[in-house]
Amino acid sequence: MKNKIIYIDSNSLDPYFNFGLEYYLTGEKTFDEATVLLFWRTYPTLMVGKYQNTLEEINQEYAAKKNIALVRRMSGGGTIYTDLGGWQYGFITKNEGQEIEFQEYTDPIISALKELGLEAEFNGRNDLLIAGRKFSGTAQYMHNGFTVHHGSLLYSTDFGEMERSTKVSGYKIASKGIKSVRDRVTNIADHLKQPVSSQAFKACMVRHIMGHHGETYQLSQKDIGAIRKIAEEKFQDRENLYGKNPKCNLTRTGHFQGGTMKVCLNIEKGKITEAGIYGDFFGTLDKTLLEERLVGCDYQREEIRTVLANLQVNEKLHGIHMEEIVQMLV
Amino acid sequence: MKETKNITMPKLSPSMEEAVLVAWAKEPQEQVQAGDVLFEVETDKVVCEIEATEDGVLERLCFEEGDPIKPGQTVAVLRA
Repeated sequence: MKNKIIYIDSNSLDPYFNFGLEYYLTGEKTFDEATVLLFWRTYPTLMVGKYQNTLEEINQEYAAKKNIALVRRMSGGGTIYTDLGGWQYGFITKNEGQEIEFQEYTDPIISALKELGLEAEFNGRNDLLIAGRKFSGTAQYMHNGFTVHHGSLLYSTDFGEMERSTKVSGYKIASKGIKSVRDRVTNIADHLKQPVSSQAFKACMVRHIMGHHGETYQLSQKDIGAIRKIAEEKFQDRENLYGKNPKCNLTRTGHFQGGTMKVCLNIEKGKITEAGIYGDFFGTLDKTLLEERLVGCDYQREEIRTVLANLQVNEKLHGIHMEEIVQMLV
Repeated sequence: MKETKNITMPKLSPSMEEAVLVAWAKEPQEQVQAGDVLFEVETDKVVCEIEATEDGVLERLCFEEGDPIKPGQTVAVLRA
């Protein structure tokens, strides 16, 4: 962390733009002699770690229904849910060595919270706690000789939505992916003696972290154009969102009126690469043809539904509706 | 015979016991230059790019993606 802080206001609630901005500051536009501070929030978003298995971490159906955005961070660690009740802070610094350091980036946060009368602590596992409960997780990536340290701050986040959007329902996925562990969490606003608006909280944090010698940098139209390009090509790209999933084997069994059906799928990079269908159900459906048609599909309800409809599953299977199969699979 | 050099896993923090090799950026027998990213590792919520420190050809990759690596272990062999 350098002595001088340059604050950049992203003026955006778009997670793709904000992660694009971070990345932009490690390559196309760099500040070698100062640490850049970002402080932003987004509309409801699930942020998965760089090498996490997206399918294993999120409730895909719920997220789609509630229009919750999905973005893949460049850093490690687990999946987080964030909304307008949360803040993300980031520090971008040119590396001086290769060593990983967390506390020098969390200390300014702890110190700023002190100004608001809060006693926060670093738990040594990259989390910040108030009264033993987590309100901030942190992660980093090193790219192009720069360290990006970013952390989430739960201010008044909807924990119900957090639970519902990250819960994986029903099926079991046997996978090589690393699971995130959800700790007990708390919102900062619940610990303040006086109510403080979310914007006033941000202003207080930014002012404190910048200190007396901090400066601000205003993004130019040229900067914004370049950041949007990164956002679109790197962070909104479907291959990037689902493509880094580790190889994942999925087995689902459904007990229907017409019998039992077991489906084994191998999913790689979000696409079905192998399919096997077994069971004691009756009908004239060509199982081999269905297996063949499933291969190459995205592991998504809509595509699977189309395959089943094209093969007239409703007409060819007794006592099993294609919608039941779709519900079972995804 | 050309000189070979072992590229070892750096110790990225005093407490680091191992890191997971999450992605190779290069393939065996590929020509690399100093500064090129060779592979990425993840440890303690940090994703870190490991760069080549000199030019050469990657003679051998000693680990696969997903493997845990301890500091000091040879990750790849570079032929100058």
